[in-house]
Amino acid sequence: MGTKKEIHDVVMIGAGPAALSAAIYTTREDIDTVLFEKGVIGGLAAVTAWVDNYPGFIKGVAGLELSDSLQKQAERFGADIRLGEVTKIEIDGKLKKLTTSEGDIYAKAVLIATGSDYRKLGIPGEETFYGKGVHYCATCDGAFYREKKLVVVGGGNSAVQESIFLTKFATHIDLLVRGDSMRASEILQHELAKHKDKITVHMNTVTNEIVGENGKVVKVLAKNVKTGKIISYKTDGVFVFIGLIPNTQFLKDSKIELDNIGMIKTKSNMETSMDGVFAAGDVRSGATMQIASATGEGATAALMIRKYMDPHASTGY
Amino acid sequence: MVKNITIFTTNTCAYCVMVKKYLGSKNMTYEEVNLDDQPERQAEAFKLSGALTVPVTLITKDDDTQDVVVGYNLSKLASAIA
Repeated sequence: MGTKKEIHDVVMIGAGPAALSAAIYTTREDIDTVLFEKGVIGGLAAVTAWVDNYPGFIKGVAGLELSDSLQKQAERFGADIRLGEVTKIEIDGKLKKLTTSEGDIYAKAVLIATGSDYRKLGIPGEETFYGKGVHYCATCDGAFYREKKLVVVGGGNSAVQESIFLTKFATHIDLLVRGDSMRASEILQHELAKHKDKITVHMNTVTNEIVGENGKVVKVLAKNVKTGKIISYKTDGVFVFIGLIPNTQFLKDSKIELDNIGMIKTKSNMETSMDGVFAAGDVRSGATMQIASATGEGATAALMIRKYMDPHASTGY
Repeated sequence: MVKNITIFTTNTCAYCVMVKKYLGSKNMTYEEVNLDDQPERQAEAFKLSGALTVPVTLITKDDDTQDVVVGYNLSKLASAIA
């Protein structure tokens, strides 16, 4: 006797702001919704120290608190959030079959909202000292650097925001920026200027190597591209925030079309090249990598999924 | 069988929250050592993990063998508590 298939209306891959927002919409419509999260519920938003630009929070909000609220709101309406990994999506008749770490599961529609992860430098020493002096999560590992010196690599919002967070612990931070201008928002750059006693910004500085002695990081070698000089920055640890890469590795052998940087291509209704499979948030080609955009895309995707499941349904409320 | 579990955490660590959620979903109890409240125990976490990171989860079995899981790693946590 065969076992009965586990079938749901919608399976969402990921449980970051996009998927949680979509789940709030689908579950409020009594659309049976399961989410699979292999990492942190809330995604990168959850590991961000402080979110200042998400609408509705006058003084900003801790990333962890925002994620927790989104999760509880989705669960209030019945979202079933499971801890596990989806490794494959394929069409199975009128359904989509998902291979997961918890066994096979079937859905009438799928939302991929796996977001993105922090990009690595790919330089000597980075792998060797990963977790032992090289880090990508300030809110996790910053506390190990009380009264220590740090290097932060990057010039965008995350690099600046997390450098400011790290001043809670470190005595001094050298912020190494590759270009001749910062990509971080004006307001964050103003905030950064308030911490100039603790954070020194080095522009036109390309990080070349992380050097250790006796198992500990001791310095970073970087090149000033204007002068050609190699400069050595003494440090106890390095935090890297140089942009994002989409979490689409699990799709590389699927029939879902990706763009040239591995992000998921979608039509105007957020549907991918696979029938009934939608994408939203940081993983979608053209995404603006903002939490507010991700939640908006999640809501839109939910309405499009509803329309897909019931072509006579309206796409509005 | 698992005898006891200790998790080293910090206040702002989202991955620590996930380890606690995962163990809670498996009806496992644990002792939490918050390194923001007890920074003097950082060396203990480092000695166990060899890494300057949290979460660090120490799982002690009935026969007193121990597993250490560094970070939030679902498959390693699952096999350590099996």
